[in-house]
Amino acid sequence: MSRIKRGRGMAASWYGIARTATIDRAGAWAELDDGGTGKVVTGVTEIGEGILTVLAQIAADEMGIKPEDVTIGDNDTARSPEAAHAGATRQTYMIGNSVALAAREALKVLHEELADHWDVATSDLRAFDGQVWAEGTNHRMSMDEAVATCKARGVVPVGSASFTAHGTGLDPVNGSGSPWQAYVFGTQVAEVEVDTWTGEVQVLGIWAAHDVGRAINPRGVEGQIEGGVVQGLGQALMEEYITDKGHAITHGFAKYILPTSLDIPQINSIIVEDPDPKSPLRAKGIGEPSLVPTAPAIMNAIYDAIGVRIKTLPATPERILKALRERNPKQTPVARDNRPQRTNTARHSAATI
Amino acid sequence: MPKLTITANVNGRKISRETQPFSRLLDFLREDLNLTGAKEGCGAGECGTCSVFVDGTLVKSCLMPAAKAQGTRIETIEGLAKPGSLTVLQKAFHKTGASQCGYCIPGMVMAATSALRENPNADIEEIKERLGGNICRCTGYTKIFEAVEMTKAILAGDSPESVLEEDKVGDSYIGANVRRLDAPSKVSGRLKYAADIKMYDMLQMQVLRSPFAHATIRSIDTHEAEAMDGVACVITADDVPGNDGFGVFVHDQPIMARGKVRHVGEAVAAVAAEDVLTARRALSKIKVEYEALPGLYDPSEAMKPDAPIIHDYAPDNLIKHIPIRKGDIEKGFAEADIILEDDFSTQQVEHAYLEPEAGIAYVDPDDVVVVISPSQNITHHRHMLAEIIAKPINKVRFIMSPVGGGFGGKEDMIYQGMLALGAMKTHRPVQLNFTREESLIASAKRHPARIHYKMGLKLDGRLTAISFDMLSDGGAYGMSSEGVMRKAAILSCGPYKVDNVNIDTRAVYTNNTPSGAFRTFGGMQAQFATESMMDMAAETLGMDPFAIRRINMMTIGATTHTQQTLETASLDRVLAAAETASRWEKGAPTVRGSERRDLCGPDTRQSCTLGARIKTNHNNPRFCAQVA
Ligand code: FES
Ligand code: FES
Repeated sequence: MSRIKRGRGMAASWYGIARTATIDRAGAWAELDDGGTGKVVTGVTEIGEGILTVLAQIAADEMGIKPEDVTIGDNDTARSPEAAHAGATRQTYMIGNSVALAAREALKVLHEELADHWDVATSDLRAFDGQVWAEGTNHRMSMDEAVATCKARGVVPVGSASFTAHGTGLDPVNGSGSPWQAYVFGTQVAEVEVDTWTGEVQVLGIWAAHDVGRAINPRGVEGQIEGGVVQGLGQALMEEYITDKGHAITHGFAKYILPTSLDIPQINSIIVEDPDPKSPLRAKGIGEPSLVPTAPAIMNAIYDAIGVRIKTLPATPERILKALRERNPKQTPVARDNRPQRTNTARHSAATI
Repeated sequence: MPKLTITANVNGRKISRETQPFSRLLDFLREDLNLTGAKEGCGAGECGTCSVFVDGTLVKSCLMPAAKAQGTRIETIEGLAKPGSLTVLQKAFHKTGASQCGYCIPGMVMAATSALRENPNADIEEIKERLGGNICRCTGYTKIFEAVEMTKAILAGDSPESVLEEDKVGDSYIGANVRRLDAPSKVSGRLKYAADIKMYDMLQMQVLRSPFAHATIRSIDTHEAEAMDGVACVITADDVPGNDGFGVFVHDQPIMARGKVRHVGEAVAAVAAEDVLTARRALSKIKVEYEALPGLYDPSEAMKPDAPIIHDYAPDNLIKHIPIRKGDIEKGFAEADIILEDDFSTQQVEHAYLEPEAGIAYVDPDDVVVVISPSQNITHHRHMLAEIIAKPINKVRFIMSPVGGGFGGKEDMIYQGMLALGAMKTHRPVQLNFTREESLIASAKRHPARIHYKMGLKLDGRLTAISFDMLSDGGAYGMSSEGVMRKAAILSCGPYKVDNVNIDTRAVYTNNTPSGAFRTFGGMQAQFATESMMDMAAETLGMDPFAIRRINMMTIGATTHTQQTLETASLDRVLAAAETASRWEKGAPTVRGSERRDLCGPDTRQSCTLGARIKTNHNNPRFCAQVA
């Protein structure tokens, strides 16, 4: 039997968008501001996923300005409208749609004033990238001038909106109900290499195809997929918080092993867009769903490589070796777990280079 | 203790400043020089967030005594580029989207800068090794590698600097790769997280935590601690003016232990003092009398009749049971040609956000209690805290500071209440920054799950019935357990049409570290089992894994396990996309790794062994002859 084995596995998945089995809501305020800039205020935004940029893109697109000209006021219960929490893969869907609707309303106010000013129909007015114009006419001005014109007529172009997602609770007896109005689906393929002497598994490739409804910022979506995959990989192969009679024995990163740059597979993201019919943006989400299929895809790949099925996570070298021994008791793999040393070496290498 | 004066060149300027004799270089930079770009992610040399250059060498400043920096040349993230500008590498991080929460990013930028300074020709494998001491929990590192490679190409003249510019936009900003607007603040170390903020007259809080997993608190004597010079207040559960109790679904957790402790690391008392050291010393003067109770550490034991009771309101230790029933499970299994039955389990997982919990509270001039923290749910925290401190809701204000990673782990209000009480008792700003160890033992984890699975199928691969039973350890408090059980149950049997399902998910109390919200909220644990079972079924039936999923997949109009009719469904497209992109070779999953011809493609990375990297692996005839 050769020492190094490779294999592939896949897994599919599904996920619901926004809060589960309940109605979900988020509010936002918007204003077309002096200089042709935009102001958006909402209750909760960035936890690292890139939602600030997504909201700026959405507001800019709706108000006809540039994303860098959008200022976002957020994250303050005394200064911004409620948008609930940052989680449940709800940021793009809930906050994104409420910002879109509020921004749309602010532009509508401005358009009504301009339509009157130019004596054209509001339906002929367009705005994009800092310019406002009336289709089929010579009327055109910068958003800077447009806001000034609107204000000179005594009107501040503001809007506000609330977006609702209609989930329903589950029946307490048979669990029936409609927990979400939007679902996403994903599929990942993993390619692994298993060292049958040490039990170590390396994930060399991941192909991750995820439906996100509509990608507002494709690069940001990729970032969420890559981050989710690596958290899934960590849970699949190395991470384990262990307690003994309630006392943590993995109380630092020396004991609680996390994926580092050396553990990362090549991640090939494929963004699939199946637009959501129930929301103005038609986008859904990706934060959590990206993590779901990774661990089972890796376990299925390990099986493909060495014929042992790991049903207890994580698939540490010890577990792989034990499973190999049980499958083939005559062969005794070299029981040498090199992961702790390997990780420590990795951790300290940058300091000593 | 006499102070120590450090004279050094910091970011090109000579400075001479006093510090504590026990200061680490990281403390000196952050506390004495207000250079907060270097972060304390672990304090133990294991994460790299504190990386700086000393005399040109990359060091982890949490491991270096400040005294050792005497006379050295120090370069921090703040000094890499002139104020208001960015280095090429920082711009590349901006361009590729290499920063997410940003907490690891100053350290990552320093490590990558070091890699390229040491070897401008470093290949990707060497770059990965050189970044190996820096953890990022958000990005999956991929865009970081891309940024380093982009920088390398620009510095070598192989690529024009214009690749760093914003992509041109067409007729809409939707679908455009607009560069992250918050990236410049993150790659430059300018963004202030809660632990980076200083307020005038601010106190430091430290928390006394339980060494017992389950014990009655007989008494807490705080007199000696309170009398100490520099101590502003000591708080315990007795200081709570309103209805004490928080939680995402059930409000079963007091701000600090009330009458008993239910897990190791639970907050018992807290001290606010002029500085951290005084606060820590005061903790050792608090006398707590405990009486140990029998502990409960295994969720399977929790529902036995003689099990210890963790919460009086739940004598059966059950936090939540979610049942889902559809069709006729007996009939479904009777119709099956094959029945597979197996058990799966998943572990407790730590969120490991690089930013440990941190926060500040103060009472503003209008008597509003203000809490600044990286909370993922300021809306709910405001509701709960108003009730706990008996204030009208508009007299409580939550501000969400930049979140250095959350993943669900910052949804629980595990320390904001203590901060509020400290501020109310002293009318001074109070700050609390967790150590990594504190964060690990006191914050919620991903629910570990034990799943018993039974699946019935026809010979053509169609599912006829699934019975799914999952038991989760909720730990000492309810936190998000109810919601996690609900989501796990709804998603458990996967995106497949099954007429007959019987699903039960249960979370129970134990005396283990509490479990809570964690990215996928139970969905991952449940679907791990389902997707393993699907492959096991495919092997038994001799079917390709994609094929068996296609036969069963939910399509538009399908009825879900909770009997919702799907109005959209895209599983067909994501299956096709993954199958095509991965060049999947069809076949049943019968351990055919050694015969596959779809391995080792250009879309995989090289395998590696550290220190003896097998550079030729892609050409290794054992695998790669198969890839024509
Ligand atoms: S390595 Fe210094 S704080 Fe983690
Ligand atoms: S961006 Fe690296 S830890 Fe968040």
